[in-house]
Amino acid sequence: MNKIFAIGKVVLLEMYRRKDFYVLFIVTALITAVMGSVTFFKDEQIVRYLKAICLFLIWASSLFIAIGATARQIPAERESRTIFPLMAKPVSRAQVLLGKFLGCWLACGAALVIFYAFFGCVAAAREHQWPLANYFQAWSLHWAMLGIVVAMTLFGSLVLTAVSSNITITFIATIAILLVGRHLHQVALTMSEPSAIMITSLYYVIPHLELFDMRDLIVHDWPLIPWGIWFIALVYAAAYSALLLLLSWLVFRRKVLQ
Amino acid sequence: MKTTRPFVLLMLLLLVLSSGLAARIDCWFMGWPGNHETSLNPLDVMIGDAQKLFAGSFYREADVYYHSGYYPTIFDNRAAFETAHMAADTGAVASHNQGDEAGFRSQPLDLIDAFNRHFTPNRHTHLDEGGPTDDLSKSEEVREILPWLKISSELDPEDIQTYIVTAFWLRTRMGNVAEGEQVLREGLRYNPDNPQLLFELGQVYFENYHDLQRARHIWEAALRCWQQQMAGKPDSERFNFDNKFIVEQLQTRLALLEETAGNFNAAIAHWEQAKAVAPDPGKMQKHINELKQKLAAPANAPAAAIH
Amino acid sequence: MSVILKTEKLRVEFASREFRQKAKVALSSLDLTVNAGEIFGFLGPNGAGKTTTINVLLGFVTPKSGAAYLFGIDVRQPIARQRIGYLPEMTYYYKFLTAEELLRFYAKIFGLAGAEADKRIDRLFKLVDLEQARRRLLKTYSKGMQQRVGLAQALINDPDLLILDEPTSGLDPLGRMKVREIIQRVKNEGKTVFFSSHELGEVETVCDRVVIINEGALKAEGRVSDLVQKYQTHSLEQVFLKVIGYETTSSAGAPVTTGASKA
Repeated sequence: MNKIFAIGKVVLLEMYRRKDFYVLFIVTALITAVMGSVTFFKDEQIVRYLKAICLFLIWASSLFIAIGATARQIPAERESRTIFPLMAKPVSRAQVLLGKFLGCWLACGAALVIFYAFFGCVAAAREHQWPLANYFQAWSLHWAMLGIVVAMTLFGSLVLTAVSSNITITFIATIAILLVGRHLHQVALTMSEPSAIMITSLYYVIPHLELFDMRDLIVHDWPLIPWGIWFIALVYAAAYSALLLLLSWLVFRRKVLQ
Repeated sequence: MKTTRPFVLLMLLLLVLSSGLAARIDCWFMGWPGNHETSLNPLDVMIGDAQKLFAGSFYREADVYYHSGYYPTIFDNRAAFETAHMAADTGAVASHNQGDEAGFRSQPLDLIDAFNRHFTPNRHTHLDEGGPTDDLSKSEEVREILPWLKISSELDPEDIQTYIVTAFWLRTRMGNVAEGEQVLREGLRYNPDNPQLLFELGQVYFENYHDLQRARHIWEAALRCWQQQMAGKPDSERFNFDNKFIVEQLQTRLALLEETAGNFNAAIAHWEQAKAVAPDPGKMQKHINELKQKLAAPANAPAAAIH
Repeated sequence: MSVILKTEKLRVEFASREFRQKAKVALSSLDLTVNAGEIFGFLGPNGAGKTTTINVLLGFVTPKSGAAYLFGIDVRQPIARQRIGYLPEMTYYYKFLTAEELLRFYAKIFGLAGAEADKRIDRLFKLVDLEQARRRLLKTYSKGMQQRVGLAQALINDPDLLILDEPTSGLDPLGRMKVREIIQRVKNEGKTVFFSSHELGEVETVCDRVVIINEGALKAEGRVSDLVQKYQTHSLEQVFLKVIGYETTSSAGAPVTTGASKA
């Protein structure tokens, strides 16, 4: 485990020293500040539109961070040849993969803490309340979802040659699942065979990332999700992440590094 | 630096030349008969009438917020969401929309669908009735739909429904009568002499400012505008649903004002006009008969309002 | 003498990218043995299979057939690399790390504890003369400094076997001298060094035994003096040229080896 944590720490250091997160946070904060400076009908208590915009920006930024940072990991190691001194050490490919996953996922979690803290401050400035339990559920589910996305991107980085292809395809797949994933089954019902069976299979195979999207509940002040349901969602995310990491390892273990 | 200087000077010269040319051509273009551009608004220039599409989606967003996110997507049964009266508002055929506002989601199709419903709004609520918390003290939270209505009206100033809805919520729930009036006046700036907007403005003076005289003038003006606009139009348009509705409302309000002032003859004249377009003329006829009896009988009998 | 490194009928093929082309044979049935405590030179022309052999030993490449062992452990197991240090030909390390962070990272990979790791890192920075620059980011390092960091990371776990791939490539004379000193020091400590190089003069000076491979096959093996005698030449360079089949005739008609200067 120490080796995995050591590799994860290096990934964290890299993310910390790159500018991506800071730029995205500043952009999010700026846009939110600009939108927040607008008053509608001299009513300063209107807040939900601001929450919606801020959460949307947080989600977009987190996907940029997760996919952009993860897609670079192994290809950059191979391209810069830093993978050779690493693999020459007593560390297995599985440990390298897990270390990269852990580093990227922890970096996403840390970024999300800052983003959600900012969101909380923005909302509290108008609502004068701080529903910590709701924010905790939203943050934890969001972080769990990013685990799946990071694992998916890692798998893509091993299967696809170009980093840009991986980023594009993973991004499109993630957005598509978030937007239409929950409706595929309904779509399949209106189609004829064999399209119907293909769409239905796709519906059952894809990781349902929309399960982790609590934005509507947060924006419109819905009550908490039952903690049992929350826990099941986390287990679902862990299972899918593990599956994708397993697939990644199956590809990586036989890959010629040169 | 020596080798780049001529290049920099050349670039500067080109920049000056192109700016001068653009300024010259722009002047000529403004005076050119073929120039159909009527607006300097960047949105008008860039996307033109497509603004109306965006306005529609922002209006819908306001409705989404009104229902605290519980709203059908394009994959759900929209028809079941739109009850008869909503269908009428949108001009859709009522017979096609017999569903229940809460029933657009069918039973869960599978385990994933059932699990999914925990993570989205899953109950039909209205913001002005307390929203998800059902706390009526929070009915002012209907304010949250206002930004979307504002944006919608900015993008499509010719959609009067947006102004009407905005003004309604501002004055009835938010207690913000002044802002509500301003919204209606803004609507009238873009849609001069619109009878519906004038009617709503009259409501502001009648219900909120209690200025009956002003309300009467505005409603009479609304009626005159309607008559002018409908002059020469075929009956099918003069007496379509929207027009019948607005005429009935105006005539009814004016009739009530006349009754309050004790001018029963004038009141009866307005009720007769209202009866001609009312969905239930029998009730109005009954009230007209009562007024006629009052006229015939001694005065001081209080007028019973139908509405 | 115990065997530190061993390959048995090692065969490596790389699939051709062209349609219907045969796979390229990088190594064909290579048998190697390196004993503990010796400095072993691994020679061959460009494309002979030297780097491929090292890649197999380090687990970067899976052989088509045959086996390779380090300290008696199959190279496919990560634990086989616990007691080795590796300096690649081209030294590339994480540019966003400082030299100290890099060594700490590798120390952690080897399971070195805090105080022991600190002591060893301090010693290594002194050894490679990078004490003043240890907290600078690696992206600010010159090539020579990067090579020295490479040496430091190769020695972080006090390895019993040091694998060096062209260790003096691109170094100035001072740098080359430093590398030779380190190799000698490591040997004096009873460790084993396995290195490939094109600098035959250096190989002749430091190596106990050498192997010459060409086109993926072993062509010659033995002590330098024995090879020189066997091939009736005056230097290792001439042995090398003869073994790989590089021979020209003089104006008098006698075979003459050309194009090489004496070490």
